[in-house]
Amino acid sequence: MTWTRMLFSYAILMLGVAMCVFPFLYMLSLSLQSDADIFSGVPTLIPETLQFSNYIDIWQKAPFARFTLNSIIIAGGITALHLIFDPLVGYVFAKMDFPGKRFMFVAVLSTLMIPFFIRMIPLYILTARMGWLNTYQGLIVPFAMSAYGIFLMRQFIRPIPNDLLDAARIDGCSELGIYWRIVLPQVRPALATLALLTFIFQWNEFLWPLVAVSTTEMRPITTGLTLFNQEFFTQWNMTAAGGVILFVPSLLLFLFTQRYFVRSVMLAGIK
Amino acid sequence: MAADGSMGAAASTGIGSGARSFFRTRRLSRRVQQTLIAYSLLSPAIIYFTVYFFYPIGLEFWASLFSGQPLIGESRFAGFDNYVTALQDARVRQSVFATLTYAIGVTAASIAIGLGLALLLNQRLPGRTAIRAVIFFPYIISFVIVALIWQAILDPYTGILNGVLANFGMPTQNWLNDSSAALPVIIAITVWKDVGYAMLIYLAALQSIPSDFYEAAAIDGAGPAQQFRYVTWPLLTPTTLFIAVVSMIGQLQEIAPAYLITNGGPADATRLFSLHVFEAAFFELNIGYASALSFLMFLLILGITFVQFRLLNRDVSY
Repeated sequence: MTWTRMLFSYAILMLGVAMCVFPFLYMLSLSLQSDADIFSGVPTLIPETLQFSNYIDIWQKAPFARFTLNSIIIAGGITALHLIFDPLVGYVFAKMDFPGKRFMFVAVLSTLMIPFFIRMIPLYILTARMGWLNTYQGLIVPFAMSAYGIFLMRQFIRPIPNDLLDAARIDGCSELGIYWRIVLPQVRPALATLALLTFIFQWNEFLWPLVAVSTTEMRPITTGLTLFNQEFFTQWNMTAAGGVILFVPSLLLFLFTQRYFVRSVMLAGIK
Repeated sequence: MAADGSMGAAASTGIGSGARSFFRTRRLSRRVQQTLIAYSLLSPAIIYFTVYFFYPIGLEFWASLFSGQPLIGESRFAGFDNYVTALQDARVRQSVFATLTYAIGVTAASIAIGLGLALLLNQRLPGRTAIRAVIFFPYIISFVIVALIWQAILDPYTGILNGVLANFGMPTQNWLNDSSAALPVIIAITVWKDVGYAMLIYLAALQSIPSDFYEAAAIDGAGPAQQFRYVTWPLLTPTTLFIAVVSMIGQLQEIAPAYLITNGGPADATRLFSLHVFEAAFFELNIGYASALSFLMFLLILGITFVQFRLLNRDVSY
């Protein structure tokens, strides 16, 4: 590669990197500014004094501890259900043979074309009639599995050699035993990826909690922050501090696992 | 029945055919057994997808035939009145137009910028893994955060963008309160968030193109531009369509930027269809009417997906 081409490539890519990083730095900066800094009329990236008390203020004005706990329960519960069901169903489609398999698989994949928003109103009716509005189960069970997760697990389970499974069968291992003792240990990295993707996307979810939650104590951190912004905070420093609290777990998870993350998105995308 | 019969016959004939039909019986019963096991393992999934995906579509259509709050409150059968009202509502038409502009804008820009970034990152550059991760990162961040960051940046009085523009003596803008700027601005914010996804999918596709193709093209005297035009781009067709389908399905139903950043304003310029449906359902409590709107969106998404899949099925063979 020529030097000019390399320089040109780096120049554009660095512009992209700067555009991705700068807004987050600005949020961090805002979260540490005083009201006076914000209204000085001269927007700054590096405030003269760092006002860490914003974080204490926001914690006192809104029950952020409870919001965080709710987010962990909801996203954690959904992730646990995905880890139970997605690989099991993926295994059935990858390794078992039965009449109607193709139809069932296409039916599962077709749900990818029914986005959440389309189902939101009937889900609300359904959940209301079950008496599950404003409950954890009402926030968790509707997201217990996903066609995406099932497809991802099927892709990882398929390459496991059939001979290995047959050998276990001859040794008298049951189908569930094969799944539990042979298949699952083989796909442990894929399970970690599935858990990560599911947790992060559920951690971010705001629409269903907005619809299905009616009390402050049941709000996850996303709608907690949104609604408190609308009710209490008019200043960007407070809002930004709340944003940083919501942001840090995603950043940490991503920093430690970005390789798996990137690879799994690439794998699921190209089949 | 057949299995029992062959077993009986096998018992009365020689060992050789007995063993043969024994194995056939074993295989048959194992197949039945495996079918039973498969369906019992699948049963939670069958129940889940029926209750939470297929049944709701039917329920939504049923609810759309009522006015008021069908199944959970007072309602009255209204036939197709909701649909007639929806199609005659100028605000609905305006929001459909805004939504199509938004979805097509985001999709086209993500494809163009995502492909550009992927082409740059497909070279042997030191540090490219890190660059790839940084550009992908906004994709996994909650729209709640994205919304508040960009609102702060674009704030007409205290935001840093106008601050910088003023510093360089350029005219400042009231970005989110200008009815001609607001929609392009939320398109740009969504592209900022989502472009990393398109970039990754393109990168994966680029890495799977055999290098022989480029060597052959180079021998034939094709320069970089011609190689892209005649080798890369045609081979990327399935990938481009895949990204287009995923992006269109996602963006046609997206509510986050309208709800979190602009609240549909100014003057309905960013009133996406999803926001219109949301408000009809949960602010005006007009569940029946909102169901009709939502069902219409389902048909629209189905139609667009169908057309895109027809295009997708035109095979590209290596």
